[in-house]
Amino acid sequence: MKALFDREPPRSVRIVDAHAHTGPYSLFFIPDSGAEAMARVMDRCGVSHAVISSHLAIQLDAAEGNAATADVVDRLPDRFTGYLTVNPWQDPTGELGKWGMDPRFGGIKLHPDLHDYPLTGRRFEPVWEFAEETGCPVLTHTYDDSPYNDLPMLEEVATRHPDVVILAGHAGATPLGFDRAIEVAQRRPGVVLEVCGSFNTGADIVRMVREVGPDRVVYGSDFPFIDLRMSLGRVIFCDLTEEDRAAVLGGTMTRLLEWRSGLE
Amino acid sequence: MLIDADAMLGRHPRRDAGPGTVAQSLADMDRFGIAESLVSHSWSWLHDPRAGNLRLLDLVADQPRLHACWVLLPATCEETGTPERFVAAALDGGVRAVRAYPADHGYDLAGRDVAPMLAAVSEAGLPLLVDATQTTWGAVESIATAHPSLTIVVGGLGYRVLRQAAGVLSRTRKVHVGLANLSSHCGLEWLVERYGYGRLIFGTGAPLRDPAESVTRLLWSELDDEAVAAIASGNLLRVVA
Repeated sequence: MKALFDREPPRSVRIVDAHAHTGPYSLFFIPDSGAEAMARVMDRCGVSHAVISSHLAIQLDAAEGNAATADVVDRLPDRFTGYLTVNPWQDPTGELGKWGMDPRFGGIKLHPDLHDYPLTGRRFEPVWEFAEETGCPVLTHTYDDSPYNDLPMLEEVATRHPDVVILAGHAGATPLGFDRAIEVAQRRPGVVLEVCGSFNTGADIVRMVREVGPDRVVYGSDFPFIDLRMSLGRVIFCDLTEEDRAAVLGGTMTRLLEWRSGLE
Repeated sequence: MLIDADAMLGRHPRRDAGPGTVAQSLADMDRFGIAESLVSHSWSWLHDPRAGNLRLLDLVADQPRLHACWVLLPATCEETGTPERFVAAALDGGVRAVRAYPADHGYDLAGRDVAPMLAAVSEAGLPLLVDATQTTWGAVESIATAHPSLTIVVGGLGYRVLRQAAGVLSRTRKVHVGLANLSSHCGLEWLVERYGYGRLIFGTGAPLRDPAESVTRLLWSELDDEAVAAIASGNLLRVVA
């Protein structure tokens, strides 16, 4: 916190952003959504690494969007790892076959709300099979009471696939959603809560860590949708031990990204 | 020095935001390095504006770090008195700014009903605070045009409205942007580059929002220290009554 009030980046902890994107987005204006500006903001705030899925991939075109994600990782490999976006309407098996073993990708990204397709749907089966075979973590958008990715749906897929690490993006997204996401995570050990969004607070993050443990709560920002500093500030100020804060800020996500080292 | 232009006392019915007491507010301010706060009261928003405004004055009477922000209504039913009486009572009570909830209180911010109240507030030199979710950018521009001396601070922008805000900021002089939930990626820097740091005012949205957001957003911004100091407190001190 001293670093913040000195207006200096923190240097004592490795920060990994578990939920990021890149590129333009049609619904609203983002002043500078490119990877270079993102890296500049990361430098300003002491964020070492971010895991990204391009806006093109989640919004419109998984094939071209995954290529765009890979291109960013090529340009700035020390700063970014990709999420392979699987759109259930755009050849999931083909995308997994093309990119699944590409080391530029460290996880799979699902956004059921944007694709009008339920998290529990059969078109996602190739994702769960791939994740079970490899240990690849899966980040899914979650939002309380959504018709496509609410918390009961998260619990259903976590029950069906107990060996898969499922990152619950936004941890339910609303105050009621946080309560429900915590309850699901307590019942399903594969569920990890990711904390970005517009309604989270430091107090909510502390409750998540207390209820499910620092090894199952990860910092994410959703930048460049939402400025990276909004979520980062909540974690930096909240009432955690320094050990638990380090786990949430980057320790846990660093471990989750190491699944490829276990592959033959 | 940080002065929070967007804070509130009182309880909240839809999430766990703490007891809303003066003690809680002061403790949170200490935790986040906030020297003073402009506070309204949740009763004025979610129960009874007149009673909430009066309760607020009692709560901040002996609190030099807390400054009162009243909630206005259209004077059509004289719930908070005529515009003249409302403004006179506000100034007598040391009120430094007023806030409007047109969406939740059921009126059009740009309509004829509230226009006399806005004229009186403008004449008194009281800034008007309003969240983006409570009105439209068209209404903000309309009242800025109708009341050219009125300082307007629009808070709670979120991350989806720069496209709408930019035009209004370009065509007006006294519309400002509050930092509470100003969450567009690089949006703070973009607004300062385009409109100057004089148009931005620090606020947290506490206790519904976590003050950590605005504090971190400002202090780890890519702005120089002069701009940060102005946004942190200088701009607010310039516009409050």
